[in-house]
Amino acid sequence: MAGALDDIRVIDATGPIGHYAGYLLADLGADVVKVEPLEGDPARRWPPLLPDTPEPEAGLQFLLLNVNKRGAALDLGSTEGREAFLRMVAGADVLLESWSAREAEVLGLTPDVIEAANPNLVHASVTGWGLSGPYAEWAYADIVALAMSGVMNLAGFPDGPPEQLPDHQGYHCASINAAAGVMAAILYRDATGEGQRVEVSMHESLLMAQETAMQAADILGTNRQRTGGGGATGFKMPGLGVYDTADGALYSMCTGNAGSGFQGLVELMRELDGPSEIHEEPLFSFVQERMNTGLLIQAMQDPEGAGEIIQTLRRIDDIATDFFRRHPTQTLYKRGQELRVLLGPVNTPQDISESEQLAARDWFRTVEDPARGRTLRYPGPPWLLQATPASLRRPAPLLGEHTNEVLTEAGVDGGALLAAGVAR
Amino acid sequence: MTSATSESTKTYPRPLEGLKVLDLTWFGAGPIATKILANLGADVVRIETEKRPDGLRVVGPKPVGDNSLNTSGYYNNFNAEKRSITIDLTQPEGHALGMRLVEWADLFMTNMTNRAVRQTGMTWEQVHEANPRIIGMYEPMQGNTGPHTEYMGFGAVLSALCGLNYLAGHQENRPIGVGSNYPDYVVNPGHGVIAMLAAVRHQRRTGEGQLIDMSQFESSAAVLSAPVFAWDNAGLEYVRQGNRVPYAAPHGAYRVAEHPERPDLWLALACLTEDDWRAAAAAMGHPEWAEDARFATVADRKANEDALDALVAEWAAAQEGAAAATALQAAGVPAGLVLNATEVLNDPHLAERAYYAYPDHPEAGPRAYDGPGFRLSRTPHEVRGAAPLLGEHTFEVASEVLGLTSDEIGRLIAEDVLR
Repeated sequence: MAGALDDIRVIDATGPIGHYAGYLLADLGADVVKVEPLEGDPARRWPPLLPDTPEPEAGLQFLLLNVNKRGAALDLGSTEGREAFLRMVAGADVLLESWSAREAEVLGLTPDVIEAANPNLVHASVTGWGLSGPYAEWAYADIVALAMSGVMNLAGFPDGPPEQLPDHQGYHCASINAAAGVMAAILYRDATGEGQRVEVSMHESLLMAQETAMQAADILGTNRQRTGGGGATGFKMPGLGVYDTADGALYSMCTGNAGSGFQGLVELMRELDGPSEIHEEPLFSFVQERMNTGLLIQAMQDPEGAGEIIQTLRRIDDIATDFFRRHPTQTLYKRGQELRVLLGPVNTPQDISESEQLAARDWFRTVEDPARGRTLRYPGPPWLLQATPASLRRPAPLLGEHTNEVLTEAGVDGGALLAAGVAR
Repeated sequence: MTSATSESTKTYPRPLEGLKVLDLTWFGAGPIATKILANLGADVVRIETEKRPDGLRVVGPKPVGDNSLNTSGYYNNFNAEKRSITIDLTQPEGHALGMRLVEWADLFMTNMTNRAVRQTGMTWEQVHEANPRIIGMYEPMQGNTGPHTEYMGFGAVLSALCGLNYLAGHQENRPIGVGSNYPDYVVNPGHGVIAMLAAVRHQRRTGEGQLIDMSQFESSAAVLSAPVFAWDNAGLEYVRQGNRVPYAAPHGAYRVAEHPERPDLWLALACLTEDDWRAAAAAMGHPEWAEDARFATVADRKANEDALDALVAEWAAAQEGAAAATALQAAGVPAGLVLNATEVLNDPHLAERAYYAYPDHPEAGPRAYDGPGFRLSRTPHEVRGAAPLLGEHTFEVASEVLGLTSDEIGRLIAEDVLR
C-alpha cells in the first residue's frame, strides 16, 4: 500500500527547526530531499553521537529526524548553487525552508523568486518568529521561544528556575504546524492546481501549550506560575501527583470523578495489601462520602475553615505515599488500570524502549544503514493510517550522498557544480 | 498583516470548505484537532450531551462566581467555530440519529476511551458499516490494539507515560513534569490534523476511507524520542540537565535584577554557535570571557559549564531584563525573557501579527482565542467565530442535516434524546 503523499516531492532546506516537518511528510510517502550547506546541517555535529562513526555522520539528532530523506549539499550563496536550487524547486511540489526575510534576500531566494521558479509550489517557511512583526529578524533558539511563549513560565519549582521542555519542543511544534499547513495547502492545490505560501512561527506554535494560563490572564487577570507539580490549590490532594514506587515513580490522578477516583485507589490498596486503616472508620466514610470535587472547592474557597479537613487529607496522603512505595510500578499500573484507577508510570527511555504495549503494536522500526555499518532502531510514527501506512525506506543521508543524483534529476550538470566546489 | 497572509486581488475560500466532520471528542487533544479543521473551513458538528458535558466546560477559567457551562475559556478556546448538537447516544433513538450523522460525514473523530466509544455505539466497525467511505479517527490513550488498549488517562498521566516527566527538569529533583498537560495542546492535535488531512487526500483520490488508529502515547513519545533513540542505538543513558543541552553553552535561564512590579523575572539565553558566544560575551560587557581558555570552544564551555553559568548568572542579576534581552538580540544572540501569560497576551509582536482573535460569544463576550499555528497566504486559516453554547445548534443540525420537523425535534428534546 502506498502512502498518501507518494506523488509529492519535497525540498527540505530547513535547519533543525524544520527537520521534523520533512520527517513527517516522508513518513506519509513523500520523496523528501534534504538540502544542506556544504559543511552540513549543524545537527550533524551535535552530541550525543553514534559511536565509532566519523564526523559529520554521527549526530544522533540528525540521524533520527532525517531518516527517509535523500541528501544534497549545495552552496546557495553561489550563483551556480542558487540556480541549481531553483531548478530543483521547479521540479518539486513543496519547499520547506527556514530563512528569515533578510536571509532570503541575502540568498536571492525571496518569495517572488521562488514563485517565479514554480508558480504552483507549496512554499512553507518555518522560522523562530514568523516573517513579520518587530521580532521577525531576531535570533531564535528552542529555549528562547519556550520562554517568550509563556510555556516555560509554568515549568519548574518555585524556588528554582523556570525549566525548558526537553528534546526541542519548540522545533517539534513548529515542524508539526508546518507539516499540517503543507497538508492543507496540498489539498487545495489538488483541487485547483494553485500553490501558496505557508508561514509558521515557532513562537506562535507554542502559545496554545500555555494550557489555561492565557485564559486565566484574559478572564481573571491572574498569572499562573510554576508550582513544582503541587497544583494551584495551596494544599496537597491525596492521590494527585508524582509518587515514588518500590522501583521508580508513577503519576497518580486518583481524584474527583476521574476514572474510579480515590475510591478506586482504596480498592487497589485492599486488593494488594488487604484491609488497613483506610478501610476502617473514620477514614473509610470520609473517603467514600466526602472526597469529591465539592470538598476540593470547599477547601479552596475557605482554606482556614478547612484546617481539620486538611489534617485528614494529609493523613490519607501519607497512607497513599506509603502504599505506592511498597509496590513495583508495573504492579500498581496494571492492577490499577484494571480497576480504572488512573495511574501511569514515569517511564524512562529504557522503559519506552522495552514497552510491551509498543512492542505489541510493532511501533519501533529498524533501518539498515550500511554506510554507518549497522541496523538502527527507530521510534515509530505518531499515527497508524490503515490504508496508507507509514514507511521507512532509507537511512539518513550521508553529507552530499545524493547531490549528483538530485541535480541530474533537475537537469543540472552535477559534475560541474561538484568540480567548481559549489556542491558536495 | 504584512507577511504571507493577504492577497487583495481575489477572495479565496478556506482550504477545507465542504469537508463534513462529525466530532465526538472531549477535553483537549481531540477538540483542538477538530477546531483546526473548523478554522480551515470544515463544517464541524460536535455531539455533546447535557447528561455528561465535556469536563472543560465545567472547570474554567470562568469569571468568578459564574457556573455556566458556556463560559469556560478552556473549552471555548478549543471549540471555536464548531456547531454543537446535544444527543444522548446511549438511547436507541439518539444512537440512530448519531448514525445518520455518520452517514452525512466525510470524517468522524473521537478521543474517548474504547469503553466510552462502545457505550456510545460508535466503534469503527459500527461507523464503517454505516458509512463505508468514511474516515474514522480513533485516538484513545494507547491505541486501538495491544495489551494496554483499554488503559485510560488524561494529559497528566500521559506526560508520565510518554517520558516527558522523566526527561524534564534536573536529575536531583522529582520528575514533576512541565507544569501543564503539554502533549494535549499542540503535539497530539497537530499530529491528528496531519493524519486526518492525509486520509482526506487518499479519500478524495480513491473514494476510500480508512481507520486512523492514533495512540496518544505513541504520538507523544514520537516527539520525545531522541533519548530513546540514543539508548537503543548508542547505549547512552539519559541524564536530566535542566535548561542545558549537550551541544551548546551557555544555554539556560538566568535571573535578572529584581523589579518591584516584576519579581522573579528570568532571561533565556542560548549561544548555539561560536559567533553567538563571542557576540554574547561582548554584549554582556565581558569580551575577555571569549578569550578565556576555559570557554574557548563549545567543548571547553561544556566542560566548565558550572563556572560559565556562574559568570552569566552574576552578570544577569545586575541587569534590567528587557534591556538585557534587547542588547543580546541586537548583537544577534538568541535571547528573550520568560514571560507570563499577561505579557504574552500584550506582546507587541503578536499584536502586530494579529495572532490572538477576539470573537464575540453570546455569554462569555469577546474573549481571547489562540490564533492559527500556521498561516496560509491564499486560503485563510483563521478563527472567525466563537465556540458554541452547549446544544446551540441542536435545532439547526436536526432540521438541516437530519431533516427532522420542528414537532419531531420538540418531542426528542422533551424525551431527553436531543439533550
